Amino acid sequence: MQNSSEMIHGIPRRNAFKIMCDTVHALLMREVKARFGSSKLGYFWVIAEPLAQAAVLGLLFTLIGRNSFANVPVALFLFTGILPFKLFSKLLSQLSVGIASNKALFAYRQVAPIDPVITRFVIEIATYAIVYLVIMAALAWLGFDVVPDQLLPFFMANGLLIIISFGLGLALCAAVQEWEDTPKLLAMVLTPMFYLSGVFFAATMIPAQYWYLLTWNPIFHIIELSRDAYFVSYTTPVGDWRYVMLCALVLLFLGLGLYRINRVRFSA
Amino acid sequence: MITFKQLSKYYPTKQGRRHVFKDINLSLPMDKSIGVLGPNGAGKSTLIKILGGADYPSRGKVVSPLKISWPLGLRGGLQGSMSGRENVRFVARIHGFTNTKVVEEKVSQFAEIGIYFDEPVKTYSSGMRARVAFGLTMAFDFDFDVLLVDELTAVGDTNFKKKSEKVLKDKYENTKVIMVNHSANELKKYCQAGLLIKDQNLHYFDEIDHAIQEYQSCYVTH
Repeated sequence: MQNSSEMIHGIPRRNAFKIMCDTVHALLMREVKARFGSSKLGYFWVIAEPLAQAAVLGLLFTLIGRNSFANVPVALFLFTGILPFKLFSKLLSQLSVGIASNKALFAYRQVAPIDPVITRFVIEIATYAIVYLVIMAALAWLGFDVVPDQLLPFFMANGLLIIISFGLGLALCAAVQEWEDTPKLLAMVLTPMFYLSGVFFAATMIPAQYWYLLTWNPIFHIIELSRDAYFVSYTTPVGDWRYVMLCALVLLFLGLGLYRINRVRFSA
Repeated sequence: MITFKQLSKYYPTKQGRRHVFKDINLSLPMDKSIGVLGPNGAGKSTLIKILGGADYPSRGKVVSPLKISWPLGLRGGLQGSMSGRENVRFVARIHGFTNTKVVEEKVSQFAEIGIYFDEPVKTYSSGMRARVAFGLTMAFDFDFDVLLVDELTAVGDTNFKKKSEKVLKDKYENTKVIMVNHSANELKKYCQAGLLIKDQNLHYFDEIDHAIQEYQSCYVTH
């Protein structure tokens, strides 16, 4: 039996990794089409959303008479906060329902519950990279100095953000399995998180005795650290690499652990 | 050969664990097609799902060197928001096909649902769903040693029934079927052996007639 099924239609027997790659590819084509293909403006909205957010905040700050934060132009300062936070909130909301909204596909033994999560992860990261490049290219064209001052720490901060989001996203998949109203709660939590993550302010702009209100938040640290890396004129007084790395490690293990425990229940 | 090793399946309910299967040790020879018998809620669909890899046993495992299809049923398998063609493309891709056009055409020809092939599956009638679901397996026919069929031939018009019957008979030599159906006549048409679900266990009968007799004496009140 083993030999006769070695080649079928010229397709060789695949190992587990190849099957996963094929599955993620199939899911990718499906999701991209569903996400962007449904309306002609699909791709436009991805870029328009952070732009509109930055425009509103930028307008407010211009109206109250500020044109720079910590010697950084307002637009650049806002984008370096809005874009990472967008990635974080987008990843959480997408990943958390990644398993629940693809249950019909688990009827095929090739599709493991983590496959749609990986698919959405890839899509969000790719979209983020493109949006980042497009917005920064546009700002460069307008005459801003958009190249990060220190590239390595900048990428490291983003990498840690991605790990934290992936771990939390997977953990939320398990939470959604347990309680289907989790996405509503998540949406409620993400709104205050926007204000607590230093998207439109930096640590140097608030009195030191109130830092403790924000320093529990790893996203706040990440945005601080990435601005530190981005702008030569800004030095973060609070950003702590070790704390962020610890959070990333703990959340990644939490997510993978909860996935491992629940992996059989996901397909039920 | 499909072997069940210490297989148990239970679901948590408000009254505690409810076992569907308990410590099953059994080997199915798979030299004949098998009809699965049991009353509603006995675990027929669960059995098909476990065999097809769509559900997992709570304990134990199923071992087989054979290529087993996914559960061909009306629920699951096809996703409502995607069109028939997109569903086919997806299934072709997860099976490692890079050129999906050939498969798409094959299914489209078998299903004969015309322009609906490019409409979302949720707009289909159950007969149309069955046509696509069945056509999908036909496109991979040489792939499978065992075909899992869950109440699929029950719907569909005479034309489709004839067609699927012919296809199943044609593949009879190579592909065996494990089938769930509430009509004893349907089962007899396709299957030679029977599998009865009783007391959270599986009982294999070499003759489908014996299985049907046993089923009727156990479950059917006269």
